[in-house]
Amino acid sequence: MYRNLTIRQKQIVWAWAFLAVPVIFYAVIRFYPTGNAILISFQNWNLLGDRTWAGLENYAKLWNDPVFWRVFKNTFVYLLLGTPISLVLSFIIAYHLDKLRFMHGFLRVLYFLPFMTSAVAMAWVWRWFYQDVPIGLFNNILASFGIPQIKFLQSTTNALPAVLAPAVWAGLGFQVIIFMAGLRAIPASYYEAAKIDGVGWFTVLTQITLPLLRPTIVFIVVFSSIGFLRIFDHVFNMTTNNPGGPLNATKPLVLMIYDTAFNGFDMGYAAAQTVVLFTILLIVSLIQLRLLRSTE
Amino acid sequence: MANLALRSLTKSYGSTEVLHGISLDVADGEFVVFVGPSGCGKSTTLRMIAGLEETTSGIIEIGGREVNNLEPKERDIAMVFQNYAIYPHMSVKKNIAFGLRSSNMPKPDKEKRIREVAGILDMVDLLDRKPSQLSGGQRQRVAIGRAMVRDPAVFLFDEPLSNLDAQLRTQMRLEIKKLHQRVGNTIIFVTHDQVEAMTMADRIVIMKDGHIQQVGTPDEVFHSPANTFVARFIGAPSMNLLDGHLDGASVTLAGGQEVTVPALRGGGIRKVQLGVRPDDLHPGSANPIITGKVTLREPLGAETLIYVDTPSGEIIAKADGRTPPQVGETVELGADPENLHVFDVASGAALS
Repeated sequence: MYRNLTIRQKQIVWAWAFLAVPVIFYAVIRFYPTGNAILISFQNWNLLGDRTWAGLENYAKLWNDPVFWRVFKNTFVYLLLGTPISLVLSFIIAYHLDKLRFMHGFLRVLYFLPFMTSAVAMAWVWRWFYQDVPIGLFNNILASFGIPQIKFLQSTTNALPAVLAPAVWAGLGFQVIIFMAGLRAIPASYYEAAKIDGVGWFTVLTQITLPLLRPTIVFIVVFSSIGFLRIFDHVFNMTTNNPGGPLNATKPLVLMIYDTAFNGFDMGYAAAQTVVLFTILLIVSLIQLRLLRSTE
Repeated sequence: MANLALRSLTKSYGSTEVLHGISLDVADGEFVVFVGPSGCGKSTTLRMIAGLEETTSGIIEIGGREVNNLEPKERDIAMVFQNYAIYPHMSVKKNIAFGLRSSNMPKPDKEKRIREVAGILDMVDLLDRKPSQLSGGQRQRVAIGRAMVRDPAVFLFDEPLSNLDAQLRTQMRLEIKKLHQRVGNTIIFVTHDQVEAMTMADRIVIMKDGHIQQVGTPDEVFHSPANTFVARFIGAPSMNLLDGHLDGASVTLAGGQEVTVPALRGGGIRKVQLGVRPDDLHPGSANPIITGKVTLREPLGAETLIYVDTPSGEIIAKADGRTPPQVGETVELGADPENLHVFDVASGAALS
C-alpha cells in the first residue's frame, strides 16, 4: 500500500511518523493536564473527595483575597527587577569577556558554574551569606567597616531583593553564553569597516552591535521573564522557616499555588491561581515578542 | 588624493614572518592590483595599509606622511571588504551615511554628498531599500558608495568581486575601472584572479610567500615575466616550460631539438627552461621547435587548444578553430623567436 503513494504522500507519512512522538507526548503530558487544571479551577476538590462544581467561586475568592494581590505584586517585582538587571549585567559581562583572550575559557566556566549548580544548595549558601553577625558573610564585612548590619531576609523591604539577587546570579551564566554566541555571530568586517570609517565605540555599540543582537536579546528577555514569573525554588529555600515570608513579602505566585494546593489541599483554588499565572505568562510573552521582534 | 609608499614592510605573527620586506611606490591616482595565490601576503599587506594590522617593521607613507602609528580613520583611506560589510539593519542611505558619521560636515552637505555618490553609482532609487532587498552587484555598489562618500586619498579593495557570479564579476570589473577613470583616486586592489589583475590594473604587483615577484604594467608582466612563477601565474592556459640546456644562443631540448633564442642577459652554458605561451605556439609555424602527438583537443570556437605529447612532456598549443589537427596526429609546433622566454633553472629568473 505504501508503495503506491506518491513521493509527496510518502513524505507526509514519514513526517507524521516522526512528529507523532512529540505530538502524543505533548497531548498527554502537557495539554491534558492544562485542560484539566482549567476544569478544576471551576470546581472544589480536596484531592481525596469528589469534585463538586463551583462555577466562578474560586476566581471570586481570588479577586477578594488580599494575599493574592500582594503575591501578584511580588511576582511582577521579581519580573520587573530581575529581567532588566540580569539582561544588562549579562550583556556587560559577555561584551567584555568576548574581547578578552587571557583566561577566557576559565572565566566563562566560572560564570556558567552557578547555572549548573542546584538552586537548593545555592539558596542555602546565600542564606548563610545573609545571616547576622557573627555568622553571615555580608554582615561580617559590613561590621568590619563599622557599618551597622542589615536585616536582609527578616525585613519586609529587603527580603525580596535579597532573594532575587541569587536568582539573577544563577541565571547569569546562561545568558552570558547566549550573548557571547550572538556577539560571535557578528562578522568582524562590520567592526573593521566601522574602524576605518572612524566611528567611536559608543556608536559601534548602539548602531551596530545592539541592533544586530536583537534576536538574541528577544530570546533572553522572553526566556528570563518566564523564569522570573515562575520563581519558586530560590524563595522557598531561602525563607524555608516561613515560606514566602516575612509577612508574604517575598511570596511569588508559584509559591502561593504550592501552598494552597499542598498545605491547604484546596485544589480548585490552586488551579484558579494556576490559570491566572498561565494567562500572565502568555500575555507577557506575547507582548515582548511583539515589542522586540523586528520593527518593520 | 595622494601617493602611497611601502618601505621594507615586514609582518610577523609570533616567530613566523609572513611578509619579508615589501617595498613599493604607488603614484597618485594609480590603480595597483596585488595578485597572488592564497597565503602570499597580499591581504595582509592591504590590511596593514588600512591600519587593521600592525606593522612589525618598515614604513607606510600615505601622501608623504608616515602613518604607521595612526588609527585607520586618520589615514585618509577607505576600504571595500570581500563580504561588503554593509549593515543589514540599515537602509542603503544610512549605510552610505555611516562613512560620514565621524566627519564634521554640516548636515545639508552630507545629504548632498550622499546624493552625489548615489548618482555616480546609479543608486538614487535604491537609497531607501534595505540590503536584503538588493542583488549582489547592488550590495557591492553600496559598499563602494560608503567608501567613496568620504573622498579618501586611497581606496583599498579586498577581493571585492569574489562573492559575485562570473557574469556579474565581469560587469563590476568594468564598473570599478570606469569609476577609477572618473574619480581618479589612488586604488589598491587585492585579488587572486589574474584576469581581474590584467584587465583592471595600471600596474600589477605579483606576490608569493610574502615576497614581491614582479611589479609592472599588465603588458610587462605578461610579455616579460621576471621568473617562472610569474610566467605560469599570469595567462591562461599557463605558459609551457620545457627543460633544456643553454649553450650560447641556442637551447637544446630533451628530445635533441636545437632552438635559437633571442639575445640573453646572462648567457653561458647552463640548465634552463624554455618558456612559450600556448597562444604563441602553433602547428605549422615558420619556426618549428618541437614535434609531438595530439592527445586532446579543447575547441574554444575561434581557436582550439591542443594538448601535445612531446619528448619534453605534455605541452599546450593553440590551433586554428576551423581546421585543427586530429587527435593522434603528429604535429610540428613552432613559435616566433621573440615570443620565447628563457629562465635559469636554479633561480627561476628570466634570462631573456
